[in-house]
Amino acid sequence: MSRATNTVALRWISIAIAGVALAFAVGPLKMVGDYPQFIIASASFYFIAVLSVNMLAGLCGIWSMGHTAYIALGAYFAANLTKYGVPLEVILVAAAAAAGILGFILGLSAGRFSVLYFGLLTMALALVTTEVIAHWVAMTGGDDGMKVGKAISIFWPAPIETKNAVVICVLLATAVYLIGEAVNSSQLGRRWLAVKGQRTASMAIGLKPHVENATAFGLSAAIASLSGVAMAFSVAFIDPVAFSLDASITLIVGTVVGGIGSSLGALIGSGFITAVPELARDALAVANFVYGGTMVLVLLFLRQGLVPAFRAMMRRRRSLGKAKDAAPRQAVDSAAMNALVSRLMPPAKHTLSLKNVSVHFSGLKALDDVSFDIPPGTAVGLIGPNGAGKTSLLNVLSGFYIPLPATSVTLDDVDVLAASPSGRAALGMGRTFQHAELFPELTIRDMLITVAGLARPLRRAHHIALQEPDAVAELILDGLELRPYADSLPAELPFGIQKVADIGRVLAIGASVVSMDEPFSGLDEHERSELRAILRGMHSAGVSILIIDHAVQEVLSLADKVVVLDFGRLLAYGDPETIRRDPDVMKAYFGSAQHAEVPANG
Amino acid sequence: MGDFPAVVISGIVSGSTYALLALGIVIIFRSTDTVNFAIGDIGTLAVFVTGTLIAAGLPVAAGLLVAIVLAGLMGMTTERLLIRPLGHSRNVLFIALVITIGLGLLIHAGIFLAWGTRSRSFPVLIPGSTNIFGIALAWNKIMAALIAAAAMGAIAWFFTKTAFGTAMRATAEDPGAARMIGIDAGRVATIAWFVGCGMAAIAAFFLAADTSLNASLTISALFRAFAGVFLGGLTSMAGAVIGGFVIGVLDNIAGRYISANYRDTIVFAVIVLVLFIRPAGVLGAGRKERV
Repeated sequence: MSRATNTVALRWISIAIAGVALAFAVGPLKMVGDYPQFIIASASFYFIAVLSVNMLAGLCGIWSMGHTAYIALGAYFAANLTKYGVPLEVILVAAAAAAGILGFILGLSAGRFSVLYFGLLTMALALVTTEVIAHWVAMTGGDDGMKVGKAISIFWPAPIETKNAVVICVLLATAVYLIGEAVNSSQLGRRWLAVKGQRTASMAIGLKPHVENATAFGLSAAIASLSGVAMAFSVAFIDPVAFSLDASITLIVGTVVGGIGSSLGALIGSGFITAVPELARDALAVANFVYGGTMVLVLLFLRQGLVPAFRAMMRRRRSLGKAKDAAPRQAVDSAAMNALVSRLMPPAKHTLSLKNVSVHFSGLKALDDVSFDIPPGTAVGLIGPNGAGKTSLLNVLSGFYIPLPATSVTLDDVDVLAASPSGRAALGMGRTFQHAELFPELTIRDMLITVAGLARPLRRAHHIALQEPDAVAELILDGLELRPYADSLPAELPFGIQKVADIGRVLAIGASVVSMDEPFSGLDEHERSELRAILRGMHSAGVSILIIDHAVQEVLSLADKVVVLDFGRLLAYGDPETIRRDPDVMKAYFGSAQHAEVPANG
Repeated sequence: MGDFPAVVISGIVSGSTYALLALGIVIIFRSTDTVNFAIGDIGTLAVFVTGTLIAAGLPVAAGLLVAIVLAGLMGMTTERLLIRPLGHSRNVLFIALVITIGLGLLIHAGIFLAWGTRSRSFPVLIPGSTNIFGIALAWNKIMAALIAAAAMGAIAWFFTKTAFGTAMRATAEDPGAARMIGIDAGRVATIAWFVGCGMAAIAAFFLAADTSLNASLTISALFRAFAGVFLGGLTSMAGAVIGGFVIGVLDNIAGRYISANYRDTIVFAVIVLVLFIRPAGVLGAGRKERV
């Protein structure tokens, strides 16, 4: 780990030094002429803008075509505040703060709309922006534009000449490059990727998707406004054309060509959108030709853009090499599992009590007055034919269905229903998914680190010695024999391994009350026997488990108590032996009490 | 407020153009999940070609038909070459949108290269103007509204009364089930792109006659059409048409009585408000996207 940390630190320092060196070379040292200087300045402020769009698309899946609004905000802040002698540094902070707040508010609504609608809505924002700029003459000079005074810096004795504003541009771009890298490799970026990939599962680990989206949008908008400030000082004149819809589309071109979710991609993309119009100076149409053509070709053949496509290629090559010498995976036994669980989470202390749970869908009773308890440390099986209400019950526990008012679900004396879906992880409740629902863009290790990071307060509250997210993740990787897959993405793994990783995720949450949605479905006999061992280990370590499955024999052999649902009603509740002989249960499964045994696989 | 009826009527007339474009957008979206941003540019290019043909002696009325067919063929080709190869996966929605933006840029550049950047004049179907309820209206606008109404009527007939139209609606509701009962999704897509882009050609044709023929002909109308689509919902044909008309009237009222300078802002403020209350549009269904 530490070697990797050193490499990252080294890279950051090199980028920072390169940026500062470039800034001095083109600025005070005058090593290049006026024209290259201007091109470097343009490429820098385009880079900042493209990165802001790129980051949002890559980490959150939100495509904004309205970022010109935030760039304009930065530019007009710069133009107006400079008139009153406000220093550059204050302008940067003020613009970023204003754009960040506006972006946060807009971002809150992102989750309400589909990607498509939100993209189109932000495009409307770009359109409205140009209209407002054109008519708010006092602040913007209208269509005629306005001149920008020289920047005043706290760190420089004289006002900065327009030519030397290239230093501001390059330094800001360097800072933004590092911010982009930092976000990409931090908990923040991983959280956003989790929300982007699996909204439901992200709520189960305690994330609030709309807040994550809003934060990302706010940061992105703040970054975009810096581009506007840099642009204003280096061009010295701003007019609405710079913030038109065409400019928005140019930013999308830059994002698409370089590839999303990568600072390097943003750099390549911004180089592209700076170079093309310069090279096609004499023929306006040529630039659009190249933009349009490149966009269509890149998207048709390199769906993800240049940098991610290249990375995916390298990844494939590496994993091909690795696959050959991979040793067969050891199955987890229940003693090891017990030891693992005991180090990760406290044994359950409280009874999860469901009382009068009712869910109706416009008249249809999906759940009708179901009550049962899950005492601490018990494994309760939940079975029932299709349509019995098993999934509805799970959705009530996870917070996705709101039951009728008479319903009460309590853990000790805490009202579970009062907590949002995202708030239930903090109560010590977790769940697994029928289809694993891992986060597609996070490696198994990154997923575990992210979740363990979110669970830190819970572990602290329960005085668990092991709190450090990295350490928790490594322990789970070893304990569940996932080490060979630590750096794999979910799509690269067999389904059985994905399901084990899903259990790893619920261990990382630190949940002591775990609901499992069809843990046995889709597994072969070998994988089933391992899962049995895993569940026995969790059980003996004192975790309360609710197993919902069609595999009735598995449930009956694992559970202390079994709940049988039929048509939304509680048909039977008791120990497995009683249930096995219950005539009502047989009737629900077979239509008669003739058969001696309930089928192994419903 | 004495001119209110005139404001509303001229709003309805310009709304018919938005409704046509909006309908085209929705028909294409329903068949292939693609928001076709190039729809306006495809219509414009078809009208540029037609303009050249009319200058060479083609009758204006025949020109309208030629424009529709040309745009339709371009739409079909686009779907075949650029959209179908993308396949179906979760990220395709936005990629397809961006591809059509790219195509729009290409067409725009192509028009500049072939016809230059200057606006050209374009003949009207019927010159002059007339009085309706004391309101002076150009024949061109009246014809635009009438032909738009006829085209929308034909679409309504096609989708409700013909077997293939019904099949197309079924495909939009449930592609899987439609495939199972043997509806050819490829053919549905081809027809939808033909019809959708054909609609855009009608809109572009009358816009050109109203002002002049230039590469940015449909941009402002397309935005209002999108506003109409937001309002009605991306999946509802009736919603798109109604939305288009509502935007036409709203735009005119805002321009006349509130502020001529902030028309777009007012229109989009209303849309955003509506969307906050009903995120899928007034008549739309939140299809395929997770909540």
